[in-house]
Amino acid sequence: MSRLKAGLTWAVMAVLTVGLLAFGATRSSGPSTQEERIDAISKRLACPTCSGESIYVSRASAAESIRNEIARQVAAGQRGDNEIVAFIESRFPGSLLLPPTEGVDSLVWVLPVVALVCGFGGLVVVFRRWQREGRARANPDDADIVAAALREHDDPTDGL
Amino acid sequence: MRPRLSRRLSPVVGLVLVAFFVVLAVSKPREEADVASPLIGNPAPSVRSTLVGEGDFDLSRRKGSWVVLNFFNSTCVPCRNEHPELVAFADEQAGLGDGAELFSVINDDTDEAVSAFFAEKGGDWDKVRDPDGTIAVAFGVAKVPETWVIDPSGFVRMRVVGEVTNSFLSGRIDSMRAMMSGSGS
Amino acid sequence: MPAVVWASGIAGPVGRGALLVGVVAAAFGALAAITAARESSRGEAVRTSRLVPRFVGLAFLASFGAIVAMEWAMVTRDFSLQYVQDHGSRSTPALYNFTAVWSALEGSILLWIFALALSAALVAWRYRRRLDDELISWAIAVICIVLVFFFVLSFGPANPFAAGAPGVNDGPGPNPLLQNHILVLFHPPILYLGYVGFTVPFAFAIAALVTGRVGEGWLIETRRWTLFAWGFLTVGIILGGWWSYEVLGWSGVWAWDPVENASLLPWLTGTAYIHSVLVQERRGMLRVWNLSLLLSTFSLTILGTFLTRSGVLNSVHAFSESDIGTYLLVFFGLVVLVSLVLIGWRGDQLRSPGSIDSPVSREGAFLANNVLFTVFAFVVLLGTVFPLIIEALQDRQISVAEPFFDRLSAPIGIAMLALMCIAPVLPWRKASTELLRDRLFWPAWCGIAALVVGLLAGAHGLASLLAFTLGGFSGGAALRQVVLATRRQGWRGFVGRANGGMIVHLGVILIAVALSASNAYTRSQELRLSEGVPASFAGHTFELVGFSEEKDDRSTAIKALVSIDGGQAYAPAITKFLNMGMNVGTPSVKTTWRYDIYLTLEPPVKKDSGEARVKVFVKPLIMWLWIGGGLMALGTVLAAFPGRRRRPTDPTSAPVPAHERVTT
Repeated sequence: MSRLKAGLTWAVMAVLTVGLLAFGATRSSGPSTQEERIDAISKRLACPTCSGESIYVSRASAAESIRNEIARQVAAGQRGDNEIVAFIESRFPGSLLLPPTEGVDSLVWVLPVVALVCGFGGLVVVFRRWQREGRARANPDDADIVAAALREHDDPTDGL
Repeated sequence: MRPRLSRRLSPVVGLVLVAFFVVLAVSKPREEADVASPLIGNPAPSVRSTLVGEGDFDLSRRKGSWVVLNFFNSTCVPCRNEHPELVAFADEQAGLGDGAELFSVINDDTDEAVSAFFAEKGGDWDKVRDPDGTIAVAFGVAKVPETWVIDPSGFVRMRVVGEVTNSFLSGRIDSMRAMMSGSGS
Repeated sequence: MPAVVWASGIAGPVGRGALLVGVVAAAFGALAAITAARESSRGEAVRTSRLVPRFVGLAFLASFGAIVAMEWAMVTRDFSLQYVQDHGSRSTPALYNFTAVWSALEGSILLWIFALALSAALVAWRYRRRLDDELISWAIAVICIVLVFFFVLSFGPANPFAAGAPGVNDGPGPNPLLQNHILVLFHPPILYLGYVGFTVPFAFAIAALVTGRVGEGWLIETRRWTLFAWGFLTVGIILGGWWSYEVLGWSGVWAWDPVENASLLPWLTGTAYIHSVLVQERRGMLRVWNLSLLLSTFSLTILGTFLTRSGVLNSVHAFSESDIGTYLLVFFGLVVLVSLVLIGWRGDQLRSPGSIDSPVSREGAFLANNVLFTVFAFVVLLGTVFPLIIEALQDRQISVAEPFFDRLSAPIGIAMLALMCIAPVLPWRKASTELLRDRLFWPAWCGIAALVVGLLAGAHGLASLLAFTLGGFSGGAALRQVVLATRRQGWRGFVGRANGGMIVHLGVILIAVALSASNAYTRSQELRLSEGVPASFAGHTFELVGFSEEKDDRSTAIKALVSIDGGQAYAPAITKFLNMGMNVGTPSVKTTWRYDIYLTLEPPVKKDSGEARVKVFVKPLIMWLWIGGGLMALGTVLAAFPGRRRRPTDPTSAPVPAHERVTT
């Protein structure tokens, strides 16, 4: 396979992938049922009696009641998802499952990003250092040995 | 990983670990959510339902008298415990001219079980059905028993989570009543 | 039965006695092992070492005796014990009565102790001829010390044999959710074997630090222990997901509950370790890093136990509160402190020469893998303890739950899949662009094919389509490796670490793709079914055929019989447990290779009304989760077999010419 041809094939593959992804990402997801709206809302709220489970997950009677209330409000069609969540949160304080993004609470969002940056930043630093040290460790004596070995090699064109 | 880096990093790691340990050490077992509710001092949610036996229940039409709502379930142990206190409370209030009206709001239970429970333990006040938890959610009741007090003008005045006693309930309603008549008219 | 009468009440004293023997035996085992180690380090004749297996054996017998005593009490319904009063019942069926022993805190610690004593005994037996080796002695000493801690925990604050109130003749039985599915027999013990299994490599790591033999010897010793611990943890977690799916009725496998997170944390660091340890074996590098990963894996199992068993975090799995929290926290602190001090003390010897030439190499990929896994572990830990931090700082209660973890784990998972595309084809040391181009050619086409298949099946949304593409790509890369290996070595191409590892990769990829599909494309609808009137949803019809009722001593179950597409009737049920006054829903699932139809019956059920509310979930690709789990287990076993031995003179990093044959 010639280098040019291989490069072209890869370019075609990349374009194809991006095109297909773009097509899939933008195509309509179809109508969602009321139930799916209810599910989406109930995933954002904690069940008040069941130790951190969401309303969606929990089968406790309190969760059942709140699910019914969400279903009623969704069926009535007067409130948006956020308003329904806010309503339930006002009745059952502390039931919001997603930490807010302001104040100290935002740390829970910031720290993972910091950790990722530190992790890969650390890798970059370490590889830089390894490359520096790798070069520095070959002192002139080493270079002589390598040169001697290369000289013994009969066929200098044999790259492998 | 490298010596220089590790020497610089080790105090940071140590500090983070110590802080983490302190956080864990001061953490205490979780307790019940507090009894504050945004409803207190505000108009009670308008709820409607039916009564066990005959009749309808409409909270907004109870204006003019103190209303006590007791959310309960015939199988819950604290509910069973507090029942004699509620019977005493109902008797005492009935003796007053403008005594508070007591309603039991059924939480996740059947009519038959509730009727059997009242037949066995006494108490002849009205039992409000709440088949899909509308009333419970409107008030923010997650766990029974809970007792709510609503004043004659329809404002929520008090919420008690857990068992109540007659003396506590009567005492609080008396003092609130005195306060309102003192400041109101 | 006379035998039962005779034996009634015997379990308490026998169990207490066994625990006491266990404390003493484990303590003496540790002492003997340390003495032996010191003798051997001073070059003296090692006399105490032959005592070590005896004490370890005795501790193992004691742990066995304790758990048998508990089982005996439970099986004979010995209500003189508090634990049996709380978690036993005359009406519990035999199987769930057997598993009731680990249905609460005290009993589950007994199970933990048994698993730990078992691994101690296995280590002592495996190295019975090398007991005068200092490294082995120290390792056994460390395991014994951990064992002492858990024996003390069980003897003191978490005493399963405490006497109960007199005159009690029956109890409520275990939590209804724990007497609903056969998996309760497998999931906890296997998970505990995973947790406990990591004690062995941990002990060898500490032993290596103490003795100063921080080279690669201890790694080689513990390679298989680590692999099996990891395998058990993996299988335990997957069985947990399966149990959740079959029992809890919300149609999911994973809810980011603190207890689930506590099992995921050591799995993540353990997985990172299993990869990066290869760099150390091959290149002698990353010693401190590998030690840290292993020590954190063990610490995280203890921390997880503390977080979930002390009541500081809310969890559905949390058992009733007790004061073992302090013990576990102190033990966690000690483990971390000792680990750090030892690493600091041996710091000079741990420095390893050498460097990694290029980031585009197998070692570079392992490092990237480690960053991803560590960051993932950090995210999970942060999310789990963040409410505690906020509480400590501001005395406020907040929840960090599923939506948070979902949002952060999706990009990390995508990055891991992307890494799995490239890493398997990378050679050690350095890879050239041509080599990558050749080796990745077919895997990349697999990715495109997966994307096309996904689109044809109607998939939408960037995240899951990316997951499909990368899943296909990485699956292709793993398959390429397996195909090449089997072509070269025949059936031996399936065994060994690299090849078994690729099978594990295939399992992980299946799980990732199945999870992303089922999270993104689940359709659900609540149907109000009237008898004889079919309702349709998502291309299927559902018809209520009738109800059935089953009663036994402990419960009444009402089942709604729902025929799907006019075929077989599925029977989601609601079971009322009389002792507990608790309703437990049991879903019913129709499984096909493309999707599951998951039915739950919603309360209240009035069977005379001829109507039922049934919630229907249509969830794609669920079956592939379990197939993926099976592949991961299979791959782990295959990886534990010795692979083809490489002749020492063979080049280890030269490009394998085989790729040319494949790509052209």
